[in-house]
Amino acid sequence: MRDVRRVGARAPALDYGAGMSANLVELARRRGAAGAPTAVELLAAAAAERGALRDEDIRAVALRTGLPEATVHGVATFYDDLRAPRGRRHVRVCTGTACFAATGGAHVEQLAAGLGVAPGTRTEDGALSLGETVCLGFCHSSPAIRDGDTIDAGPGALERVLTGRTQASGEPPVRSILPSPVLTQPGDWSGLRSALTLHSAGDLLAEVREADLRGRGGAGFPAGRKWEFAATVPAQRRYVVANGDEGDPGSYIDKHLMERSPALLLEGMALAGFAIGAHEGFVLVRSEYPASKPALEAAADAARTAGLLGTDILGSGFDFDVTIVEGAGSYVVGEETALLACLQGLRGTVSARPPFPAERGLYGMPTVVNNVETLCSVPFIAQHGAGAYRALSPGESAGSKLVCFNERFARPGVVEVPFGITVRELCDEVAGGLAGGGALKAVQIGGPLGGILPAQLLDTPFDFAPLAAVGCMVGHGSIIGFDEATDMRALARHLLRFGADESCGKCFPCRIGLERAHAMVAARAPVDRARLEALLETLELGSLCAHGGGMPAPIRSLIAHFPQELGLA
Amino acid sequence: MIGLTIDGVAVEAEAGTTVLEAARAAGAEIPTLCFDERLAPFGACRVCLVGLADAPTPVASCTTPCRQGMVVDTRAPAARRVAGAVVELVLSELPEAPAEHTELAAVARQLGVGRPRWPGAVHPERADTRHPYLAFQHGLCISCGRCVRACDEIQGAFALTATGRGFSANVTAGIDAGFRDSACVSCGACADTCPTDAITEVSLLALAESATI
Repeated sequence: MRDVRRVGARAPALDYGAGMSANLVELARRRGAAGAPTAVELLAAAAAERGALRDEDIRAVALRTGLPEATVHGVATFYDDLRAPRGRRHVRVCTGTACFAATGGAHVEQLAAGLGVAPGTRTEDGALSLGETVCLGFCHSSPAIRDGDTIDAGPGALERVLTGRTQASGEPPVRSILPSPVLTQPGDWSGLRSALTLHSAGDLLAEVREADLRGRGGAGFPAGRKWEFAATVPAQRRYVVANGDEGDPGSYIDKHLMERSPALLLEGMALAGFAIGAHEGFVLVRSEYPASKPALEAAADAARTAGLLGTDILGSGFDFDVTIVEGAGSYVVGEETALLACLQGLRGTVSARPPFPAERGLYGMPTVVNNVETLCSVPFIAQHGAGAYRALSPGESAGSKLVCFNERFARPGVVEVPFGITVRELCDEVAGGLAGGGALKAVQIGGPLGGILPAQLLDTPFDFAPLAAVGCMVGHGSIIGFDEATDMRALARHLLRFGADESCGKCFPCRIGLERAHAMVAARAPVDRARLEALLETLELGSLCAHGGGMPAPIRSLIAHFPQELGLA
Repeated sequence: MIGLTIDGVAVEAEAGTTVLEAARAAGAEIPTLCFDERLAPFGACRVCLVGLADAPTPVASCTTPCRQGMVVDTRAPAARRVAGAVVELVLSELPEAPAEHTELAAVARQLGVGRPRWPGAVHPERADTRHPYLAFQHGLCISCGRCVRACDEIQGAFALTATGRGFSANVTAGIDAGFRDSACVSCGACADTCPTDAITEVSLLALAESATI
C-alpha cells in the first residue's frame, strides 16, 4: 500500500485575497461602509488643489481615513494623478495607441517643445505643467490633448493648445448596424420595470445565464456564472461594481456609454443587484474621462427622483443605490482585484485569485465586478429574454458588441455590430477603409493586450474563438488601424513602454520583464529573437494577471508577421 | 480531507491547505522568494510555480488551494524554466550580487541560475542608516513585500509600505522618512524575513563584520 501524507493547513487563510492586507481592508471598511471618501479620493483632491502632495497632506489623509501614514504614502506614490506635479495650468497629452498611430508620437515632442516644459514636470513659477496620459478616449480624432478639463483633439488641436485657444472636441458619431439598436440607444428602465413586476431574482439570473452573456471587458467570462457565485455565497451583504476603468488605449466604448447612456448602465447595475441580492453598487470611473462622473451622477439623481433608484424601487420592496467613485490614473486598476483595491482607497495592485471577487470582493463581501458594456446589455435581456439576445448575432457568440475605430479610418466612431462579421467588413465597409484611401498595414483589436492582425488576415471573423486562433482577441472591442507609414519596431517600443509604465509592480515577471522587453526593442541594436521569446514566455506563464500575461501577445504578432521590421537577429 | 497527488505521492490535505504547503509536507522542494510561512500568501515572486495535470499553464503553488483529485508536478519543465528566468530577472535588477548567506542567493543556487540573459537598469543605491538597530539598503529591495506584511501581520505597526509601481517599485518606512521617523517599534520582524539583506539589523551586521576582520 502506498504511503499517504496527511497535511493540515498552517498558513493564514486566504481571507481577503492573496496580497490584500486583511487589516488594511478592515480599516478601509470602517469608514468606507459609512460612505466616507477614500484615501485615493482625498489625495486626488489635495493634489489637484495644491499641485503636489506634501507630507502634511499625507498625514491629514491618514487621520481622516484611519489608515497608517506609511500606507497612505504608498497610495500617493502609485497613481499617476498623485505623482505628477501640476501647475496652475495643467496640460496632459495623450500617449495612447490611436494618437501613436496618427503621429508616431511626434505630437508629444511638439507640445513639450512648444510649451517649453518637459512631460512630467512643471515650470519653476508653477504656472504650467505637462503630463502624459493614456488614453483620453478621443481616438476618433487624434492627437488628443487635455487642458484643464477641456479635451481638444484632431487637426489643429496642438496649435490651439499652444496659443491658448483650447476648445472642446466633438464627441464621436455613434450608430448600430443591427436591425434595431440595443446598446446604442439610451436606457428607458423598461428592463428593470419588467424584471421587478414579472420576474423573481432567480428568473432573472437564469435568463442572464441562458443569454450566454460574456464579459465585455476583455476576459469574456460568462456573466451569469459570476452572478450565480456571488448570489449563492452566504454573506451579510453583497455588492455590484461596474468597472468603468476603460484603460485600454484606443477604446472609447465605455466612455460613450457612461457619458451618453448613463441610465442604461445604472439600470443594468440595479438588475444585477436584484439578481444577486445586493443593495449597493459602485461605478469606478477613470479620471482620464472628466465628463463621466458628472454624467453618471446626474443620471443617478434623476433616477432617484423617478423612484428608479433608492428604497422600495417602483413599489417592489427592492432597495438599490449607486455611488460613483473616480480613480486616479492606473491602467492595471481595470483588473478586478486591483479595481477593488482602488475602490477601497488602497494601492491598485493585483491580488491572486481564488478567492474571486464573486466570493470575497469589496470589504471581503461577495461582489460582482462587471464591465460597463456587460451591464448595459442586461436591460435588453431582462426585457426581451435570452432567446432574443442570442439572436442578435448570427455568429457563435451571443448578443451585440460595440466596436470603435481610430482616426486613421474614414468613418471613425462607436458602432454596434453582431459577432461573426469579418474584420475586413468592419474596417472596409463599416469604417469606410482608411481616410485618404491608403492600404491598411495591420489592426490591433481589443486593447494593448490584443494581438496585431496583419492585412492578409483581415478575413478573420470578429468573434472570440476565431480571433484567439490567430493570436488576437475581441477584448474591449477597439479597432486601431495602422497605415503603411507605421514603423512596427516603433509600435513594439510604444506598446512595451506602456506595459512597463503601467505594471503595478507586484509580480516579479511583469515588474522586471516588461522593463527588460522595452529596453530590448528600444535599443538601436538588432533584437535577439531567442532571448526576446524566452522573456515573453516568462511574462506569459509567470505573470500574476493579464497585464504581464497579455503584453507579449502583440509582440508575438509582430515577430510572426513583421520580423524584418522588428529587426530580429 | 482533500485527496491529491504530488509528484506521484498520494497526499490528504485539510480544506484550505495550499499546494505549496501540501507539496513541502510531501517532501517536494519548491523554492520561494515572497513566501514566509508566518505570513499570508502573497503570490508575487512566481518562483513557486508548479504544473497541474489539468491546467495548460503553471500555477503559483503558494496561492492555489488543494482540490480533490489534483495532480501536481513540482518539476514540470515549463514551471521550472519560468521560475529560473524570474530569479534571473531578479538578480539583474540588483546593483550588486546578493550576499552568499541570503535566501535569494540560496534560491539562485538551487535553481542553477547563471548570468542574467536580460541585463539592464538596476535599482539606484539609497541607504537609510539613521536608525540605531535597523538599516535599509533600498537598492537591494526586490519588492517581495515580506517586510511590509511582517510589519502589518506580525507587529501591527504599519511602519512600512510598498511604493511606486512597475520597475521603480520599492519599500519605504513612514512617509519615506526612514525607520527613525516612522511608526517603527524596532521589533526587527522586517529584517528577520528579508530575503536579500535589503533590511538588516545593525548590531548583527556589525558583529559579523568584526568577526571577519
